[in-house]
Amino acid sequence: MLSFNKGTRTSAAFLLAFALVLAAFTGKNFLEMRRPDRVVPAPGFTSHMLSEWFPNISGTPVDTPVFIQDSGVPGGSVLIMGGTHPNEPAATMTAVIFLERATVSRGKLFVIPFANMSAFGHNSPQEASPQRMHFTLPDGSVRSFRYGSRATNPVHQWPNPDIYIHEASGQQLSGSEMANLNRAHPGVEDGPLTQRLAKGLLELLLREEIDLAFDLHEASPEYPVVNAIVAHENSMMLAAMVTMELEAQGVLIRLEPSPKNLRGLTHREWGDATSTMPILMETGNPSQGRLRGRTDEHLVMTGEDKFYAKAAQLGRLFIPYVNDQPMDLRVARHTESILTFLETLEFLDPEIAITVEGVPSYGEILEEGVGAFLSPVPDQ
Amino acid sequence: MTIIYRAIALFILVFVFRCMFREKDFWKQVTATMVVIPLILRILLIK
Repeated sequence: MLSFNKGTRTSAAFLLAFALVLAAFTGKNFLEMRRPDRVVPAPGFTSHMLSEWFPNISGTPVDTPVFIQDSGVPGGSVLIMGGTHPNEPAATMTAVIFLERATVSRGKLFVIPFANMSAFGHNSPQEASPQRMHFTLPDGSVRSFRYGSRATNPVHQWPNPDIYIHEASGQQLSGSEMANLNRAHPGVEDGPLTQRLAKGLLELLLREEIDLAFDLHEASPEYPVVNAIVAHENSMMLAAMVTMELEAQGVLIRLEPSPKNLRGLTHREWGDATSTMPILMETGNPSQGRLRGRTDEHLVMTGEDKFYAKAAQLGRLFIPYVNDQPMDLRVARHTESILTFLETLEFLDPEIAITVEGVPSYGEILEEGVGAFLSPVPDQ
Repeated sequence: MTIIYRAIALFILVFVFRCMFREKDFWKQVTATMVVIPLILRILLIK
């Protein structure tokens, strides 16, 4: 007989059974996060895995799809990478938009939508992040994408040291940064998973002779490097031209030089180790900020948050925040910036120009929403 | 190293089970139940 005061072997058995049911339910839920999101590449893209360039990650949870569209017409090679930090979802969605809409008529386009595949498979502890975000398509169907974590899943890479020493420079960082892909570049051939993933990306850049490489991100609205382009010396002239062009279009954006003593980031290491022009871009994402209130899918998709509204009134933010910062705006900013880079590349060096059509403009994304430019997933 | 971690987690889980069945206070048994769930997920490398 169960009593709510006296514990017995029977009550323990009931509670144990209850715990097993809950563990099964939550376990299934967590494991579903590791199932890759489906994408629908536009005609002309071929699908590869990063391990084709760096076999050391073959069969590991960090091996990730690389999509290539080669026009067959001589021109530049450009990489668009989202998902370095899966809790910065406008970056991933921008790469997905290019993957599902782009038609390349000159040059070669590489798209990696989910750079750190392991980090997509879990949420950061104590952040209350949603697991998924949903987009409604014009045909009424709904597609969902995972909202993951900043770090590689500790189930795949563990433990973190007390201090993370960046191998190429000896720079010391907090131990948790060991699982941060954007502190792992240029990578380590036989290092931990995140460092090997970074090495794989470097091999891709070197062997494919990528001319221009984008690493897309989002940042907290209270962080100074937001709504910004961060450029290496190799890419600074191009980035300056693009910044002026974007400002002329009404897309206000900062231009920041890549700090020479901040190591492990794409905008520093890719530029130092290869001949590519690396570009890192940030939009403002309230769902990853420290000032946010309730954290759910609504916040991810709209950026509406009363605490950020208050912070904006007090002049504490680095983005023009009124009441929201929607996903559509954030993806539109990234997309328009990339398109402007591609157009400007021709003026810098016609031999590495690339022509990409079919990708929606800033105004089109704002007007119709991201969902309008995703393709329906065919039945399996 | 992971196998040692899992062995430690399993060792703790067995002790929590033992305590649950010996405990005379129902609400302390409930507390133990809450400890059991994350331990199971850890041992199975789910979370």
